[in-house]
Amino acid sequence: MSSIRLDNLVKRFGDFAALKTMDLEIADGEFMALLGPSGCGKSTTMNMVAGMEEPSEGRILFGGRDMAGVPMGRRGVGFVFQNYAIFTHMTVRQNLAYGPRMRGAPKSEVERRVAAVADLLQLGPLLERRADRLSVNILQRIAIGRSAILEPAIFLLDEPLSNVDAAFRAVMRTELKHLQRQFRQTMVYVTHDQLEAMTMADRIAVMDHGVLQQVGTPLDVYNNPANVFVARFIGAPGMNLLPGRPAEGDRGLVVDLGPLGASPPLPDRLAAAARRHGGPLLYGFRPEALELGRPGLALPVTFVERIGARAVVHFGDGATAVKGVFANDVGLAVGETVTLRPDRGSVRLFDAASGRALAGEG
Amino acid sequence: MSAVPASGEDAVTARRVPRPVGGDEAARLGFRLTLPAQVLVLFIAAFPLLMQLYISLTDWAPLDGIGWWRAWELWNGFANYTDLIADDRLWSALWRTAIVMLVCVPAEFLLGLGLATLFADEFPGKRLFYSILLMPMMVVPAVAGYMFFMLFQSGGPVNDILSGLTGRPVAIAWLSDPTLALVAVMVADIWQWTPLMFLILLAGLVGVPEDQMKAATLLGANAWQRFVTIVLPKMKTIIVIALAIRLIENFKIFDTLFIMTGGGPGVATETISVYIYKVTTQDLIWGYVAAIALAILVVLSIVAVFAMKRMAAARIAA
Repeated sequence: MSSIRLDNLVKRFGDFAALKTMDLEIADGEFMALLGPSGCGKSTTMNMVAGMEEPSEGRILFGGRDMAGVPMGRRGVGFVFQNYAIFTHMTVRQNLAYGPRMRGAPKSEVERRVAAVADLLQLGPLLERRADRLSVNILQRIAIGRSAILEPAIFLLDEPLSNVDAAFRAVMRTELKHLQRQFRQTMVYVTHDQLEAMTMADRIAVMDHGVLQQVGTPLDVYNNPANVFVARFIGAPGMNLLPGRPAEGDRGLVVDLGPLGASPPLPDRLAAAARRHGGPLLYGFRPEALELGRPGLALPVTFVERIGARAVVHFGDGATAVKGVFANDVGLAVGETVTLRPDRGSVRLFDAASGRALAGEG
Repeated sequence: MSAVPASGEDAVTARRVPRPVGGDEAARLGFRLTLPAQVLVLFIAAFPLLMQLYISLTDWAPLDGIGWWRAWELWNGFANYTDLIADDRLWSALWRTAIVMLVCVPAEFLLGLGLATLFADEFPGKRLFYSILLMPMMVVPAVAGYMFFMLFQSGGPVNDILSGLTGRPVAIAWLSDPTLALVAVMVADIWQWTPLMFLILLAGLVGVPEDQMKAATLLGANAWQRFVTIVLPKMKTIIVIALAIRLIENFKIFDTLFIMTGGGPGVATETISVYIYKVTTQDLIWGYVAAIALAILVVLSIVAVFAMKRMAAARIAA
């Protein structure tokens, strides 16, 4: 097992900076998710950790040891590819035995280790099957087992669930988390799916455009986004953000939201921060934290999406568009104007110019 | 195939034959619709074969003054076939062909595989070298023959280069020495057909999944181990195809060789095609030629069927 430290990591392909700068500490045994839209630099980061690509600048340290110049076969890294990269011309047994065999382990030891891993992953009955035309969850287990047999200090997983259909993904998520608990390895998990990151990771590193946006526990990233990007990216739908300016109201500091009028009074901590800031703000709140029919923002209903257990209701449009998530039996009709009040605790403020959160923690 | 499949394999093949929808009526219609095409194919394939078989059982020659259909007047049963078994020149031509095959095809394979491995990666000037590399394949074999004929003259460039390398004047009479003539002919064949091998093998090599190669590297396999455990097994089918194509083609080696040496000196480079050509045009005993050609066809067909079975097996495995 090993911790990972990324120190000022930069990766350029010609003129294009895939990773502008990255500093990240991953603790021993931690499950870290690298989350971001495609092209954000998460896979590039992962490939550099694995040794498939050389960093343009900066260092990668495993447990304090600089990995520069260490070839990928010698880093003690297990890698699970997006499509698993199973050796389809071999049997399951040959796939599992591949690593030890290539490293010249004696035959009896290879057999013993294959048996142990197969037992752990419940691959025993499938050992003599050819590795093509197996189901996805078995392929995933082979891919993990094939790496795990070498007892790597670090496990890297590159969007392993992106080729799986939605219903099965939930099963696979559970299985993966379960496997991580068994192996107790440091895991780095690259994904663009926040649900995967939220459900499995100890901590999430949110990335965008080659820049690390925020690192934190899933709840922390959800509750206290560090900036506008994270606020919009995390959550489905993301946080509502309305432009405004701080203004003195009757019952304390409010945000003047222009055509929408004034916001409900801000909690003390945010009021203090907004007062210090003084300039243009973005007033943010979660769609899940809206109360209907309380004095607040008056907005027309423009669209109602019913998604099973819940309903996503769209209010207003353009710069004043707001989304709310309610129980699916919510009695709202398109055209009707309602008043909404963001839950006091859920309100967050961001600097309109830099997009950074004001007075971060709540 | 017999009506009642005997072996297990036959049973599988039999089951795979699709039953026509609509029963016998549809089958009869299908038969009638494909009849013209079948007759045509039969005429193209079967007629020359039967004609050959017929002539091979006679002493017929074109200068006898009777049409081939009257060849039965010169019927000699299986005499041509018994002659064939006793024909030393035929056997030595076959043996020589085998040697050429066993040298040229592996050489072309190894060179082609090496070049393909090189070209699977990026390097500056790759496109230019690629075009140059494919050029020999596009040269008309007769022209290539003439080119190598000139290269291997005693006063030719090959000797000049050897002189330059050794520092002493070299004047080897390549094409008049029985052994060296065979070497020269093989060099020409390897030059001309390595590109084809390269092209086929490169296609196979590019098809090896990159992520499996990366996975193998991450699991600790070095370049040679990756080649043996991933690349070769994945390329099995394409290697069998490439070898089969070249073996069949090389067995028929003729044009380049004929222009370079004419089969000589003496019979030193007389391969099977050259021998058949000579018997046909010089000895004019066509009944015998037909017998040789038919015998070779039968032997080659057996080899081809065997190779194709292996190929099918490899494809299922891959």
